[in-house]
Amino acid sequence: MKKIKQIVLAFLLGLVAVMSFTAPNYTNAATDDSLQKIKDKGTIIMGTSPDYAPYEFLVNVGGKSQVEGMDVEVGKQIAKDLNVKLKIKQMDFDQLLVALETGKVDMVISGMSPTNERAKSVDFSHVYYQGGQDILVNKADAKLYAKGHIALQGKNIGAQTGSLQYDLAKKQVKDAKVKGLSKVTDLILALKSHKVDAVNVEKPVAEAYAANDNQLVAINGKYELGDDMQGTAIGFKKGSKTLVTAVNKTLDKIKKDNKTKDYLKTAGNYMAGNTADTSMFHYWKYFALGVGYTLLITAVAVIFGILLGVLFALMRLGKNKVLHAIAVAYIEFIRGTPLMVQIMFVYFGIGMIVQIPALVSGIIAVGINSSAYVAEIIRGGINSIPVGQTEAARSLGLSQSQTMKSVILPQAVKNIWPALGNEFISLIKESSIVSIIGVTDLIYQLKVVQTNTYRGIAPIAVAMVLYFVMTFTLSKILSYFEGKMKHEG
Amino acid sequence: MKDNALLEIKDLKKSFGDNEVLTGITETIHQGDVIVVIGASGGGKSTFLRSLNGLGEPTSGQILFEGTNLVGLGEKELDKVREKMGMVFQQFNLFPHMTVLDNITLAPIKVKGMSEADAQTKAKQLLDQVGLGDKADAYPASLSGGQQQRVAIARALAMEPDVMLFDEPTSALDPEMVGEVLKVMQDLASSGMTMVVVTHEMGFAHKVADQVWFMDGGQIIEKGTPDQVFEHPKEERTKDFLSKVLVQ
Repeated sequence: MKKIKQIVLAFLLGLVAVMSFTAPNYTNAATDDSLQKIKDKGTIIMGTSPDYAPYEFLVNVGGKSQVEGMDVEVGKQIAKDLNVKLKIKQMDFDQLLVALETGKVDMVISGMSPTNERAKSVDFSHVYYQGGQDILVNKADAKLYAKGHIALQGKNIGAQTGSLQYDLAKKQVKDAKVKGLSKVTDLILALKSHKVDAVNVEKPVAEAYAANDNQLVAINGKYELGDDMQGTAIGFKKGSKTLVTAVNKTLDKIKKDNKTKDYLKTAGNYMAGNTADTSMFHYWKYFALGVGYTLLITAVAVIFGILLGVLFALMRLGKNKVLHAIAVAYIEFIRGTPLMVQIMFVYFGIGMIVQIPALVSGIIAVGINSSAYVAEIIRGGINSIPVGQTEAARSLGLSQSQTMKSVILPQAVKNIWPALGNEFISLIKESSIVSIIGVTDLIYQLKVVQTNTYRGIAPIAVAMVLYFVMTFTLSKILSYFEGKMKHEG
Repeated sequence: MKDNALLEIKDLKKSFGDNEVLTGITETIHQGDVIVVIGASGGGKSTFLRSLNGLGEPTSGQILFEGTNLVGLGEKELDKVREKMGMVFQQFNLFPHMTVLDNITLAPIKVKGMSEADAQTKAKQLLDQVGLGDKADAYPASLSGGQQQRVAIARALAMEPDVMLFDEPTSALDPEMVGEVLKVMQDLASSGMTMVVVTHEMGFAHKVADQVWFMDGGQIIEKGTPDQVFEHPKEERTKDFLSKVLVQ
C-alpha cells in the first residue's frame, strides 16, 4: 500500500513537472524574433470564434463551411502586408487566449477588446474598430430596457464566457445574475426561450442579429466604458513587439482609409447569403460531415481504448507490483478527472512539446479516457471467470498468455459484452466534447449550422435524431453479436 | 520390483500462512503405478496432488519428475513439464466457449504445434475411447456431468501425458454417472497409464489401485496394496476412517 502511494505521488510529481515545463515562457522578450518567425514560416495563423457576425461567422460556400467577416478581412490584409499566407483556426472564445499562449495560433482576431486584464497576459495591437456595447432583448421587452444597462438590475443577463461583456454585466449591473455561455448562438437561444432577459454583445453583432431575426431588438447598453474597453484589437503572445509593430502599420492604414466600412459591407453580403435558405436539408452536408467525424473519433477511440484497456487490466491483475501500481494510478487518475480537462490538456498542454492536430488530440484524449473504463470492465470480466478455467488450461501446458488469449479473454468478453457496449454507446455521445478544441464533429457542425442560419432549435433537433440513429444502430449491432455468442455457448 | 521411478517426492511441505497443510511427504511413484490417495477432507490430498504439477507451489522439498525438480522452476519450464502431466478436476473445467472437439484439440495445436487435421483425428479417436464419438460438435453446456468429465479425460489424454492426476473426479457427479467415469479410468489403468487418483470411491480403489495411500494431517500415514490397507489396516486413524467410510 505504501509503495502504491509512493508511485502515485511520483506520477503526480511528474505531471507537475510537465506542467511547469509547459508553462508560458515570458523570457523571450529579450530576443524578440516573433516577426521573423512568421516570415520564416510563411504563414500566420489567426485564431477566432466564428459565432460573432459581422466580425466573424461561418458561411456556406458550395456546401463547404468557411469563416468570413470583418475580422477575416483584417486578417487577410495583415497577411498580405507581411507577405505570408493566412490560416484560420476556429475555436471557442474562451479557448483563444490559451491557444495564443501555447502557440496554437499566432494572433487572435475575434472581436476582442484590449482590456487591461487581458493585456497582462497578451500583447495587443492598436484598436482597429470601435463598436460600442449593446444589449439584445426580445422585441416584446424592448420598452422595458430602453434605458440600457440600468434597467437590467436584478435581471438574468447572458454573456460570452471570458468576454468583456461578461465583466460589464458583473460589474456595472446591480444584482445582476450573469449567465455565461461560450457561444453567442447559445446565448441567443437562451434569450428567445426566456432563460435570460437580455444578452450583452457588441453593437455590430447585436445589430446583425436584430436584422436577421425579427423577434430581437438591439438597444444601446450605455455602459461606462474605459479607454481599454472601447473597440477591438488583435491579441498576440506576450513579447511579440516586432510582430505587433508590423501589424499596427496595417491597422493604421485600415483606419486611415476607413476600410472597415467596406469590410462590414462584404460581411453583410455574406450574411444575407447565409439566411437565403435556412432549411436543414440545405445543410445536410454539414451534418453528414459531423456524423462522419463523430463516428471516426468514436471508432478509433474504441480501438485505442480496448487495446490500452486490455493492457492496463492485465497490468492491474498481474503479479508485478510496479506494473500493478502504474495501472492503478493510471486508471484512478483518468477516471478521476473530467474528459473535457483531458482534452484540453492533450491539445494545449502536450501540444506545447509536440504539435498535435486537434482531431488527433481529441481521439487520443477520448481513447485514453475510455481505456480507463474499459480496463475496469475487462478486469471485472477476467475476475468473473472461475479459477478452474485457468488451472485446466495451465495443466494442459498452455502458457500464461495462451491461457489468457484462448481461454479467459474469449469468455470474459462474452460476460462483459453488455457493459462494453454501454461504454461504446456513451463514447459516441461523450466524444461531442472534442468540439471545444475545434474538431468538426456533429456538435460542432450543429453550432455551425445554428450560426449560419440564425436558427436555434431546428439544428438541435436534427443533431438529436442523428445521435439517436447512431447509438440505436450500434446498440442493435451489439445485441446481434451478443445473441450470436449466446448461441455458441 | 519396478525401479523406473517417474515421480520422486522428497520431504514435501506446504503451508498456507501459519497453517501447514503438507507436513513432509517422501514417496516414489513408478511408471505404470496406479496410486489411489484416500483420507478425510482437509487431510491435504488435493494440495498434495496439485503440487505434483506445480499448480500449487510447495513451501519446501523436492518433486523430481523424470529427473527434473519442479520446485522453484520458472513458469516457462513448468509449462514444459505440465505438457507431460494430465490433470482431471472435480469440476471438469471444460472450456464452455468451445466445442468438445476444440476443447480437446486446443492444447495439442497451441502447445505441441500439431496440425489441426492431425489433432482432430486424434481427438476423435479419444472421444471414441471414452464413448462420446458422437459429441464432437456439442458444446459442454449440453452434456451431462459424466459426459463432461469423460471429455475432460480425453482432453488431458490428447497431450499424451506420462502421468494422469485425478482430483476427486467423481465427487461432483450425480450417483448414476459415477460408473461411466470410473469405467473410463479403469480402462486407462489397464492400458498401463501411470495414475494418481484422489477419490472417495473405495470400491474403485479396491479394484484398480496398485497402492492405496491413506493421508491424514498432511502426511501419508499408511500405504500398501488395497488388501493390506482395506482389510488389515495397522494405524488407528486408518481404521477409524475406514470404519466411517465403509459403514456408509
